[in-house]
Amino acid sequence: MKSGDLFRKVLLASAISFALTSAPLMAAVTDQDIANDATTPNDVVSYGLGLQGQRFSPLDKLNTDTVKNLIPAFVLSYGDEKQRGQEAQPLVHNGKIFVTASYSRVFTVDAKTGEELWQYDHRLPDGILPCCDVVNRGGALYDNLFIFSTLDAQLVALDQDTGKVVWKEKMEDYKAGYSNTAAPIVVNGKVITGVSGGEFGIVGKVEARDAKTGKLIWMRPTVEGHMGTLDGKDNGITGETNKSWPGDLWKTGGAATWLGGTYDAETNTLFFGTGNPAPWNSHLRPGDNLYSSSVLAINPDDGKIKWSYQWTPHDGWDFDGVNEFVSFDLKQADGKVIKAGGHADRNGFFYVLDRTNGQLISANPFVNKITWAKGIDLKTGRPEYDDANRPGAPSAAEKGQSVFSAPSFLGGKNWMPMAYNPNTDLFYVPSNEWGMDIWNEPISYKKGAAYLGAGFTIKPLNEDYIGALRAMDPKTGKVVWEAKNKAPLWGGVLTTAGNLVFTGTPEGYLKAFDAKTGQELWKFQTGSGVVGCPITWEQDGEQFVAVPSGWGGAVPLWGGEVAKSVKHLNQGGSLWVFKLPKTPS
Amino acid sequence: MRPLFVFLLTSLLSPLGWAVDSDPLNSPQWEFVHQRFLKGESYQFDGKVKVEAPADAEDSLNVPISFQVDDLENIQEVVVVADLNPIPQVLRFRPKAMRPHLGFRMKLQQGSPIHVAAKTADGLWHVGGVWVNAAGGGCTLPSVGTASGDWTKTLGKVSANVWQRPDGSSRLRVRVMHPMDTGLASGIPTFHIENLNVLGEDGQLLAELDLFEPISENPMLSFDVHQQKQFKLEGRDNNGNKIQAEVVQ
Repeated sequence: MKSGDLFRKVLLASAISFALTSAPLMAAVTDQDIANDATTPNDVVSYGLGLQGQRFSPLDKLNTDTVKNLIPAFVLSYGDEKQRGQEAQPLVHNGKIFVTASYSRVFTVDAKTGEELWQYDHRLPDGILPCCDVVNRGGALYDNLFIFSTLDAQLVALDQDTGKVVWKEKMEDYKAGYSNTAAPIVVNGKVITGVSGGEFGIVGKVEARDAKTGKLIWMRPTVEGHMGTLDGKDNGITGETNKSWPGDLWKTGGAATWLGGTYDAETNTLFFGTGNPAPWNSHLRPGDNLYSSSVLAINPDDGKIKWSYQWTPHDGWDFDGVNEFVSFDLKQADGKVIKAGGHADRNGFFYVLDRTNGQLISANPFVNKITWAKGIDLKTGRPEYDDANRPGAPSAAEKGQSVFSAPSFLGGKNWMPMAYNPNTDLFYVPSNEWGMDIWNEPISYKKGAAYLGAGFTIKPLNEDYIGALRAMDPKTGKVVWEAKNKAPLWGGVLTTAGNLVFTGTPEGYLKAFDAKTGQELWKFQTGSGVVGCPITWEQDGEQFVAVPSGWGGAVPLWGGEVAKSVKHLNQGGSLWVFKLPKTPS
Repeated sequence: MRPLFVFLLTSLLSPLGWAVDSDPLNSPQWEFVHQRFLKGESYQFDGKVKVEAPADAEDSLNVPISFQVDDLENIQEVVVVADLNPIPQVLRFRPKAMRPHLGFRMKLQQGSPIHVAAKTADGLWHVGGVWVNAAGGGCTLPSVGTASGDWTKTLGKVSANVWQRPDGSSRLRVRVMHPMDTGLASGIPTFHIENLNVLGEDGQLLAELDLFEPISENPMLSFDVHQQKQFKLEGRDNNGNKIQAEVVQ
């Protein structure tokens, strides 16, 4: 052997021992890191920028004065022929940016250079059954792991440094219609997840696993009559069998937890929204159909339900109820603070609940037209239905009477997360104005087949716009400002202590607004529709903003007349990263 | 299958007894292979590492290779590298309680030296090899299972057989259903078995295998074990799908 070789070998050995002693210590994400995420602006280690889901950053270098100097730092193309909707929220930790992409892919880049470090392409079977595009909404960081769920209903934990699979667990059978697109959250060492598949007659559930190993700890079904588990043993039935469901329909009752959930440490409570009851045709299932189209407050330690609130009892419009429940302090005029939660439902109402007990505090429209209910009764907490606007029952062979309903089933607001700014005390809600013709059809359950029993066509309500970013005051239930958008809004919102609100548009822009007035201050064209969730963090004394770009999601697939109007929007797949330079050029 | 292996013996390229410094196969990539896959450690070319393969690959997707290292003691690990493949590393084999023999099939992108390096307890790599000519294209085609969509029905299924050899020991052959996609076919992500352990019925570890992308679809592996007749197989692919099987007679 030549002496040069020996020298190289010694160098290599010393490099390895250095890496072993320093790297793992820095990399591990702890429960404390996650608990503090909302107040530590040097990283983003959870979906929602803190598990309460406020999507508020205390950073203020970037503000209404300086946002004009925000410039692109780098962009990562996801490549491949696979594009479709990019709905993810990126995460930032230990000098790396982690982002999930369509078709259950994960990309990790160097946060300084944008250079890709690794990519994981999950192998998907041909027979996956996602209802609403092949999206993924993000991952969770814990220890040295990046954990995300896949379109074939698996939960995968990757090594943050290498992208290699550390553990993988099957959550459900994709052939029965289960899939998964939501970002998991990690609460005190447990990774908490829901399931998708409400259009296929699955049964929704929330699951907690050991985040380091993937081992199941507890499972809580979201349809009454189904048994929960804790440590492999029965842990009580959800609700009371047949109390609000007739016959056997609860066995395929839906209530999918397809958008994941939030967590509030002050009350040690998980808040998981549930989807529509199955099938859509409500005449087949008289009753409230608990716990569909609801929010469930769940104890993260054992999976027991603390309380529930049903946004749309006996849902007949696919209003779902999965939209995020965001914990916040509701400041009263007398100075008292109520531990509250805000929720903008698909059904068009913005709800404020007491998050300690689920009592309704207020419910006000955040869209201009609501046909299915005249209002929400604050005493009973129940909707005042307009029975003429429920689609009619079908006969054995004929479809039922069609009604025009607003909002459409794509909702006054869909999955895209809103943001809450504790400085302005306002929620920023990405909302849409649209209605639908909807009618019921005869249907029976068949494993793995769509289980709707309804037909529909979505229509815009206005000539000039569908989308409207709206600032809602949770104290008054009034819209303080709105910024209209021609195409439907489908991206998440971010707000900051710099008095800014960020969100994207299908037309390709990432935009920044004045949080108090709604004035548009900055925009950047990313080349494809922005339906992802923006984040911000500080790095080397500079403030960064990142957002995925890539048009897709449910609108082009289900949007009826609206889909035609957005047909010209091009698909894409990239991660855009911006920064405010220390010295503006 | 047996007659094929007998035929292959006649095309054995490695002459016995050589231990030389320069690569008898004259591989242009040898120094790269040495640095990357043997970590630049000491080696010698050694005819005691016997490698059998056809001189010309009839099917670039399924090139049968086998090696035997009988005249060296205490083999720690055997590494197989196809120097000119776009993904050169084929497998790593650590026999714990079985002979350092292995038969398998691999994909070849073009004609290439196949180097087999066996590490003895003193840390020295003993390197043998053969040159296989191939028409090419083996690594950039979609697997049959992926192209047909059938792979999901059979993923991870194991079939196996055990034969008695003339000396009373056993030969174990297993097949694990897996597309083994290289990631080089357009639009098809890398998807391959990463490791496979062979255990005795009492759980004793007989051998560890690391498999890489060039191993053929539905890997077929032949082991020369001692007297055992029953086995367990445990493994995993790069997506974390588990492989678990028991071989009983």
